[in-house]
Amino acid sequence: MGENEGFINYELQEFKLFEPLFKWARKKSLWIVAFCTGCGGIEIPPLATARYDFERFGIMPNPAPRMADLFLITGYVTPKTLKRIIVTYEMMQDPKYVLAHGSCPINGGVYWDSYNVVKQLDKYIPVDVAIAGCMPRPEAVMDGIMEIMRKIESGEANGWKRYRENYEYYRKNQDKLFGEGWREKEAKRWLAWI
Amino acid sequence: MFAWKLVLEAIGMLIYATFIGFIFMGIERKAMARIQRRIGPPIYQPIIDTLKLLGKKESVSHGFIYDFGPVFALGASITALLFIPMGNFQLFSNNADLIVVAYLLEVPMLGIMLGAMSSGNPYSGLGVQRGLLTMVAMQLPYGLAIIALVQHWGTFKLSQLVALQQLQGWSITVPALALAFIVFDIVFQALLGLEPFDIITAPAEISMGPMVEYGGKQAAILFTQHAIQLFAETAFFAVLFLGGASNLLDLFLKQLLVLFIAIFVASIYPRFTIDQAAKFFWKWPTIIGIVAVLLTM
Amino acid sequence: MNLLMVMLFAPLIAGFLAWLLDFKVIREVIGIIGASIPIGVLAYYYSTVTSESITYSLTVGGFTLGFHLTMLTWYFAVIASIVGIAMAFGMASTSKSSYDWLFALISFTGVLGVFLSSDFVGFFLFWELMTFGSFMMVLKRNRHESLKYFVLSIIGAYSMLVAIGIIYAKTGALDFNTVQKALRLDAMVGSISRGETALIYTLFLITFGVKAGAVPLHVWAPGAYSENDQSYTAFFSGALSKAGVYGFVLLYILMGAKLYTALGVFNNHLVFAYILAWIGAITVVVASFLAVLQEDIRKLFAYSSVGQVGYILLGLGIGTGLGFAGALFHVLSHAIFKSLFWLVTAAIILRTGKTRFEDLGGLAEKMPITFTMGLIAVLSLAGIPPMAGFASKWLLYEAAISAHMPLVAGAIFLGSGLAFAYVVRFLYAVWFGQRPSDLDDVKEAPLPLLIGMVILAIPNLVFGIAPGLVTGYFNRLFGDTIVGGNYFRLVTPTGTYNALLVTVILIFGLSIAGLIYIYGAKTRKIPVINTYQSGNPVTEEYNLSMRKNFYRPLAEALGFWLKYSWDRFYERLANLTEDFADWLREGFYNGNAQSYSWYLTIVLLILALWGVL
Repeated sequence: MGENEGFINYELQEFKLFEPLFKWARKKSLWIVAFCTGCGGIEIPPLATARYDFERFGIMPNPAPRMADLFLITGYVTPKTLKRIIVTYEMMQDPKYVLAHGSCPINGGVYWDSYNVVKQLDKYIPVDVAIAGCMPRPEAVMDGIMEIMRKIESGEANGWKRYRENYEYYRKNQDKLFGEGWREKEAKRWLAWI
Repeated sequence: MFAWKLVLEAIGMLIYATFIGFIFMGIERKAMARIQRRIGPPIYQPIIDTLKLLGKKESVSHGFIYDFGPVFALGASITALLFIPMGNFQLFSNNADLIVVAYLLEVPMLGIMLGAMSSGNPYSGLGVQRGLLTMVAMQLPYGLAIIALVQHWGTFKLSQLVALQQLQGWSITVPALALAFIVFDIVFQALLGLEPFDIITAPAEISMGPMVEYGGKQAAILFTQHAIQLFAETAFFAVLFLGGASNLLDLFLKQLLVLFIAIFVASIYPRFTIDQAAKFFWKWPTIIGIVAVLLTM
Repeated sequence: MNLLMVMLFAPLIAGFLAWLLDFKVIREVIGIIGASIPIGVLAYYYSTVTSESITYSLTVGGFTLGFHLTMLTWYFAVIASIVGIAMAFGMASTSKSSYDWLFALISFTGVLGVFLSSDFVGFFLFWELMTFGSFMMVLKRNRHESLKYFVLSIIGAYSMLVAIGIIYAKTGALDFNTVQKALRLDAMVGSISRGETALIYTLFLITFGVKAGAVPLHVWAPGAYSENDQSYTAFFSGALSKAGVYGFVLLYILMGAKLYTALGVFNNHLVFAYILAWIGAITVVVASFLAVLQEDIRKLFAYSSVGQVGYILLGLGIGTGLGFAGALFHVLSHAIFKSLFWLVTAAIILRTGKTRFEDLGGLAEKMPITFTMGLIAVLSLAGIPPMAGFASKWLLYEAAISAHMPLVAGAIFLGSGLAFAYVVRFLYAVWFGQRPSDLDDVKEAPLPLLIGMVILAIPNLVFGIAPGLVTGYFNRLFGDTIVGGNYFRLVTPTGTYNALLVTVILIFGLSIAGLIYIYGAKTRKIPVINTYQSGNPVTEEYNLSMRKNFYRPLAEALGFWLKYSWDRFYERLANLTEDFADWLREGFYNGNAQSYSWYLTIVLLILALWGVL
């Protein structure tokens, strides 16, 4: 676990005086990592455009993960995608939230018997809210986001805390799926092409 | 003797500018949303965003310069702000003139670039390259607009420029300076990093360019910097071409006018590629700028 | 022996001693001592020189060489001496050969002699000494580049010789005072025709233009600056190019009135100055564009040197007092920041052995002090207030715009944008990003080199925060208040700049930003490969930083203009000359005895017709 030692031992900042203010701000300003997996990504444009306009609630797609707060897993997750999801998720800064979108991240959905789909996302990264449906309508996604906002306010959206506390568990599952040292191996795979 | 009044004014102006700058950013988003027939976020949304970024419980760093870059950028923006006469507040404007302010307004870019470069992300590198090339491209028309202005009024002092314009009418009422105004307005689009010159951040293309590695408190500092910079640049524009202002409300209206021109242009045009931008800047704005400059000789 | 002579010849003697006593530490110590004597003597003379000028004459083999130390020459000599010491410290680390010490210090004496001479004989002799020293430094490393430098220097030297000859024929004097008086008188009388004046002017323009590296005579500079010991290049570009600038100042002093009456006025600008201003403006733009597109760290700074000297020529060409103040100030700031750059380059090359941007990277962690020095130089060159580079550039802006030279001022704007672009490229490619694996055991620069850098970095800060120190000296030099204000505040008729206040407010701003920074969460250091690549993991084995062709889009946008090159033009000219000479040689010396006898007959016939025989 050498490569992530700094991540595990890091002591999170506790803001005493302004914590309620920051909590409110976190709720009102959720930035989504622009990262689409599977077919659910197509549900984001209607959400962003004139019909549903999630920017009303301060939600904004953001291409850079380090400033982002909300990770939308939009659809089925293959092992190949999951590697990217994990890398990106670890780059996001706490507090961060994950919203699993559609049936596939919950139980594999229509790909329940596929050899190449990750059936249960919850084993690899913590999920705060899951929306069932194939596909969930934009209203359902909106509802899921509202649920996340409510949970942020009540402090229930604590996936980032769980990830730190149970890091070994998640790490074990990841390694079991991909094999030890998969990051370095994955990075080196591309050297042949370049 | 220590000028307590001036210092208090400066601090007051800093707070006001930060607040109004954030509101300007909010107006930018709101207006864009309205043009796209959306409702848009509340206009204080950038403040919430910045608070959220500051309230992140984790922070990462790629090294000293990575942290120093945003800090330097914010410091330089604050410096630039305090040398511009704001309505009835002269602040420190009789200690520095147009050239100094124009330079100080460019320094934050260096800070952001420094930090971005030190992250080692190739997207940042690309953003830095694009930012600098945009700057190189816009520098010539920008310079020509400023030269035309100074040649007409015969002074570099911002406070004097305001006084002269109050006496003899705004700069844009002079035909040659109206041309300079057009040039400056085109350049202004690039200064603010809005379409068609948002080549630097290019969100869907190079993941926010220089900003890609920033998050948490560094990004909060950069947002604050952007707010102050937006305020300072719009005020600079108002001082140069719209006759300055006699009070803050007057200034605010003029800034808003300038900002809305920028927003309307931005919401219509798509993005240039960098070599197109360079060729564009060296063609029409430069020609108009040269005409303006020759007319004021 | 006069102190002035001690100062003048100390580097030369030290150079010879270092060459003779070729022992490891002794050589360096002698060199450094020899190079630091001039600044000591100049400091001693400071109080004297501000009230009266010091003169001395030396008789060597029938020639009398006059020397003078006036306020102007003191200023130039001080700049050369500061750079000289820094060079000596730098060379103590980078140069292992007594050959280098000998010729570097010879050219040091040459530069000082050029500044101190008060007649054309000494001026020419020391000019040649300086050229010789620097030529030998290049010759050792690259013959082709040295020949380029040599040929252009020879052209310059002959132009100067011819010009001096014409002046001597017309005025009958060689010392500056008499020449100045005679030419000033002649401005009224007009016995020297307009064509002759223009000829002298052109000849001097070529001479000084070559040394200062004005476009289109700059082609030697990139090669000669880069194919050299970089510590010496600090002196080469910091002080030797200033000899050309001094030449132009001298041209103003000696011939200003004459050139004004002979060449007249165009659009309220003196014609001869206007030409100089345009040469400067073109130099700034062309050299800066080329600097942006370079792939080699040394070439980048070489072109940048050419461009920055263009600013100085531009300032001199403005022709107003403010323009002079700006140009002279830029002489100082260019000398200190560009020499600093060269020493930083020397340190990089010494420690890594690489010069191309594609081989470098991520050195900021390995060489933090050198990086800091490089950053100071970058801030100064890019003209970030409060640095010396900003104060001088500010004066140039004010001068150019208030003299109603809009297009020339536009060149300054464009040039400063380009300067920003190339220094940031230097920062990015050398100091930041992923480090190539073969640079993992790079160490910090050696102590003497660091001392040299610090010697140059301090003036960058001091004259940046207190630019009034320099402009106050100019006011006394011109005997008039050109730039008002006090130590910290510059006031021109149209503008004002308070460097101290800018510094204070900048510190205030930085501390506010720092407070926000401290309030936020504590930072965790992450490695350089932990960057966002669209979610892809990154490995050390592939370097992701963009080092090669950084400004490719600019090259594309400039495609049309880049088809033309002065270098290629000169190469072609050289080839044509060579072909022509070959053709001549083959045509005449064809090895046929019969044709040789025919030549003899023709020559004899011509002589006979002329009536010689």
